[in-house]
Amino acid sequence: MKKLIACAVFFGLMAPFPSGAELPEPEVVATIGGEDVYQLLPVGAIPAIDNPKFVSGKKADRQMRAEEPVLGVVIGGEARAYSLWQLDAHEIVNDEIDGSAIAATW
Amino acid sequence: MVDRETGTLWSQVTGRAIDGEHRGAQLQKLEAIETTWKQWREAHPNTRLLKKSEKVRSSHYQTYFDDPEKMGLFRAQWLAERMPGKTLVYGASIGPHAVAVTDGALDDSLVLASLGETPVVMSRARDGGVRAFVARVDGNEIGIQLDVETDEVTDASGSTWDLSSGLCISGPRSGSRLESVAVTPVYWFAWSGFYPNTQVIDR
Repeated sequence: MKKLIACAVFFGLMAPFPSGAELPEPEVVATIGGEDVYQLLPVGAIPAIDNPKFVSGKKADRQMRAEEPVLGVVIGGEARAYSLWQLDAHEIVNDEIDGSAIAATW
Repeated sequence: MVDRETGTLWSQVTGRAIDGEHRGAQLQKLEAIETTWKQWREAHPNTRLLKKSEKVRSSHYQTYFDDPEKMGLFRAQWLAERMPGKTLVYGASIGPHAVAVTDGALDDSLVLASLGETPVVMSRARDGGVRAFVARVDGNEIGIQLDVETDEVTDASGSTWDLSSGLCISGPRSGSRLESVAVTPVYWFAWSGFYPNTQVIDR
């Protein structure tokens, strides 16, 4: 597999808590260029999707609402969509298209 | 973001490794768009969809999206004087050069920007997503424009372009393809926090 990692998209920065959730006490894990980097959750607390499975458009039509937001990519002629409502709970999909490793991120 | 192999920390906005073994490395950003399932499905009939749980019927984050005062978790720094932090913009960057384009600027029009020395054209594509391309062929700027009468995108050579795919569909440059530039749909507070020198194109 080609050793390319690619970040497919990004939308909302740092919104990992549903409304009403209590924020944990932030822990400084690094200081970069004079600015603190905080860790709020352990790694993997928002589980990324590995080895993703895909369904055909026809099957998907039964699960998806017309106005449901998606992240879409076309690579090497292959189109893939990821429901953003689903990505809310995962934020990252470790995927592979056309021999390249890609991260679809939300 | 963090990678499991080395624990390196990566910025989701810039794709750059900010701390750890890979520090300074840059992920390649891909052309990816945000749109509705209906629009995506119509424009890409052979698409597949990440298998989805039937239980997922809405967003956890609707109150976050709807609240103009909620920006990130805490201590976000951004260019607050330019526009409200929760304004959705379309960001593109080449090296240190960045541009943020508002929805209004993309309404029925093309946006032309220079990222450093690189001319870039941005528009809303058929599938509802926003795409950007380098407006050059063989190193020469092509002078791209939208004819508002016919809704066709043409260049100085008289060639016609499809800016959903970046393909030249007729004229002297027929068959040429423009290089794509990744577009990031993102809140203004996040984009301007990471690219404080960004240009802004709005209406």
